[in-house]
Amino acid sequence: MPDDPSAPSPRWQEAVDRRLAALGVPPLRRVEIIDEVAQHVEDRYDELKADGRSDDEARRVALADVEGPRLAREIARSERAPTLNPPVLGGPRRSFMGNLSQDVRYALRSMRQNPVFSAIVIGTLALAIGANVAIFSVTDTAMLRPFSYPQIDRMIALNEQTRAGQPMSISWPDFQDWVAQNQVFEHLGIYRPAAVNLTSGGQPERINGAMASSGVFGAAGIPPAMGRSLQPGDDRAGAARVAVLSDRLWRARFNADRDIVGRAIVINGEPHTVVGVMPAGMRFPSRLTDVWLPLGPAIETFPPRGAHPGLFGVGRLKPGVSFDRAQADMDTVARRIESQFPDSNGGVAVAMIPYYEQIVASIRPMLFMLLGAVGFVLLIGCANLANLMLARAERRQPEIALRAALGAERRRIIQQLLTESLLLSLIGGALGVLLAWWTISLLAASHPTTIPRIDQLAIDRRVLLFSVLLSMLTGIVFGLVPAIRGSATDLVKSLAHAGRGVGVGRSRRFRSALVVAEVALALTLLVGAGLMIRSFVNLTAIDPGFDPENVVTMRVTLPPSKYEDRARWTAFHDELVRRVAAIPGVVTAGLNSALPLEGGGSESPVIAEGQELPTRGKPGTMCLFQATSPDYLKAMSVPLLEGRFFTTHDTSMSARVVIVDDTLVKKLFGNADPIGKRIAFEITGMHERPQPIWREVVGVVRHVRHYGLTSEPPFVQVYVPVDQLPIWFDERRPAMAIVARTTLSPEAITGSVRREIASIDPDIPIYGVQTMEQYVSQTVEQPRLGVVLLGGFGALALLLALMGIYGVVSSSVASRTQEIGIRMALGATRHSVLRLVLGHALALVVTGVVLGVAAALALTSILRNLLYQVSDRDPATFVAIALALVAVGILASAVPARRATRVDPIEALRVG
Amino acid sequence: MPDTIGLPDRELKKGSAELLVLSLVDARARHGYEIAKLIESRSGGTLRFNIASLYPLLYRLEKRGWIRGRWVEKPSQRRRRYYRLTPTGRKVLAAQRSGWRNFVAAIERITSLEHA
Repeated sequence: MPDDPSAPSPRWQEAVDRRLAALGVPPLRRVEIIDEVAQHVEDRYDELKADGRSDDEARRVALADVEGPRLAREIARSERAPTLNPPVLGGPRRSFMGNLSQDVRYALRSMRQNPVFSAIVIGTLALAIGANVAIFSVTDTAMLRPFSYPQIDRMIALNEQTRAGQPMSISWPDFQDWVAQNQVFEHLGIYRPAAVNLTSGGQPERINGAMASSGVFGAAGIPPAMGRSLQPGDDRAGAARVAVLSDRLWRARFNADRDIVGRAIVINGEPHTVVGVMPAGMRFPSRLTDVWLPLGPAIETFPPRGAHPGLFGVGRLKPGVSFDRAQADMDTVARRIESQFPDSNGGVAVAMIPYYEQIVASIRPMLFMLLGAVGFVLLIGCANLANLMLARAERRQPEIALRAALGAERRRIIQQLLTESLLLSLIGGALGVLLAWWTISLLAASHPTTIPRIDQLAIDRRVLLFSVLLSMLTGIVFGLVPAIRGSATDLVKSLAHAGRGVGVGRSRRFRSALVVAEVALALTLLVGAGLMIRSFVNLTAIDPGFDPENVVTMRVTLPPSKYEDRARWTAFHDELVRRVAAIPGVVTAGLNSALPLEGGGSESPVIAEGQELPTRGKPGTMCLFQATSPDYLKAMSVPLLEGRFFTTHDTSMSARVVIVDDTLVKKLFGNADPIGKRIAFEITGMHERPQPIWREVVGVVRHVRHYGLTSEPPFVQVYVPVDQLPIWFDERRPAMAIVARTTLSPEAITGSVRREIASIDPDIPIYGVQTMEQYVSQTVEQPRLGVVLLGGFGALALLLALMGIYGVVSSSVASRTQEIGIRMALGATRHSVLRLVLGHALALVVTGVVLGVAAALALTSILRNLLYQVSDRDPATFVAIALALVAVGILASAVPARRATRVDPIEALRVG
Repeated sequence: MPDTIGLPDRELKKGSAELLVLSLVDARARHGYEIAKLIESRSGGTLRFNIASLYPLLYRLEKRGWIRGRWVEKPSQRRRRYYRLTPTGRKVLAAQRSGWRNFVAAIERITSLEHA
């Protein structure tokens, strides 16, 4: 017995102290706890002794309570985390943040307790949110984020067009009249994109440039980063040769030299003085434009009114002037010019389009379609998760009911359940951002050429903000109904039903409705994907008229100053093609003035001998004409249908000849044999005394698609020998394309060609190296992107729908175990049980399919412009997808249905 | 050794244990051993709290501010820590008591229904 009556005996203190060695609390608190516990042990000991136990036994029993690690663990836990796990929600009033941190801890713990459930939820969210983030970031980059041009809505692109709507470039004298009569534009500029040869120290380089008037810079509204941009003085005939550099060229080629302004550089063989550098935001007319050259030095070369020499306009509207007013004003100007010069300007109108529209018009339908698709995926994901959460809320019903009974407010329970779904969706969203980042890296690496600003694609602050908002919205969407449902507790019912799992009927109906919605959404999405795939198949089945395999192409342009002389120009090309053909590994090589699928080139009316000459009002048949070397058609594997290809004997000294395509034969000769007949597409003196230059048809070849795979205008095609250059090429020589059928890689052949050219003329660069297969794949770039993405989203939707159906059917089987058991006890066969379960699942799926077909019929019309030779209501696609979804439905319910047939009636009834 | 009534839910155990402790320190301050003894005797031995359940619970309730413990030395007795209900604790107790009554009533209804 202790001497000091006020403290427990040291004997007990030591005993407790030993057993609580690893308590992990501050020393003072430790003493307090040991004192208190030791006192308890001693009280117990005293009591046992008083009951007549022996000293040893009393001691053993009293200390039994403090043996083992449990006491220390429990005390340490309550000391460490005092606010952790208060069992009754809403008992004491807490601050919002206190509630939040409590709910978050609770949610994290419950996630850890159900790792599979959490993984499914987070995985679903990551995929669905990731898809949305990826497509949003592309859309944001391409069209939503502010452009570098201030008030881009005031920027207008202009060109001329016929009354029939055929677009043309702008005639130089017309533009001068526009400027003189302009009342609506603050700035009005004109430009012509032109690739130029830059020679400065060593290698010649082909860069993208633009000849631009000062108005272009005014219209863009971007001040120079250094020096000056082009000014009105640069627009006047005889102005000095100056150059404005792009930020990229300045950095890449001139090492960001701060003293560049005032230096001379050599462009197209002529010295130009650098007067300024534009910031990176100046990407007009294209993001690849690296140098702007003044209009002035070229003005003398512009053809007279009526000719449209590849010039295009851009303007900036005066503040407060609407697009419609500007259009009306320019229409007036055009009519005024028309009445003044009816000969050249009869039927010539001004076409205007907001510059923003011009940038985004081609990509917008695709992006909207994809945004819709990922929205569907997310909705399906939400339906799935709402389903899972509801199922879980049902399982938790007794627990929640009890909490409510113990005083938790309903609001607090909802808040806690919502915290859980929000937390899940934020984690899923974070993973989704990673997925999106990975996806858009892949996309950017494929270098799509049809998406504006693709070079700026990134997960930036805007995209992150979007991701967070979307994740939170998602968490609320899929969590709210289960939270409300889950918190609506009826203690009596929920406890009465606990363990028996006869779910609340209302909730079951809601979950069935979710599955129906999910199937309907998936069907709509899959029909869209199916249509795109069919369209893509049609697209790739198009015969371009040539064989793109193993063909490498590149361009070469001779500076006009040095190759003014036609004989010299021709001699260069003859020599070039001879040398390229001799490169080991090259099977055939040729030259042509236009490349298939590149968008055409030079067109002119064409007639057969004896037919009416074309007039301005009646141009007749239009042809695409090309200057071609003897082996070009052979290199492209364009099939020869009749007659012969050109040979080296078709020269400027021999008779004028032409090869035509089968469409020309049909249009001009019908069924007659064209070989030996004469046609003309070069007609001089159009206005006064038309003089056709006749050429004899020596061969007929298959029509080649020049303007794209799907949008081939009804132009017929003619080829003439490069030595018999068409008169239309007298003014402006074409940049010839080298075409080589070869087993060599593009890199290898480029190196060889570059060496051959250097040995003829070291100042000539080659550029635009591409395989013909790349040309083909570029023209199907957007459709392919659409198919890949939409197909992926469709597959995701299908997977989610499968999971949804499986989840609902299996939980329904689980909760009907008793019913099924009774049925089987009463004599139901396994077969009839199977039918019962599958019938229920099929009813849901078929309802979803019917609704989905209705929705798809209403929605696929937005795909119409993206589809090639497939109806947006293609019955085959609709039927195939509907059947596929029914099959998936059966598949998803097969496993739970089989489980149902294995119910043991005795077991099932005992559970009840 | 059972430390609470035999209900299946962990949360419920804690809830009921809290309710018991709070009720016992409502009328007057009591020390740990006393609380344990009272629970045992008043339940006729059905409920028994051991040290590892009781003290962590007391510390938790104290941390939450529902009860407050103070060392008290009474003449001819040893120094003991006495726990008393705080105003917050009183509100919590009221809420828990009514929740518990509803619960018990509900159980009663169910069980009587089941046996009807």
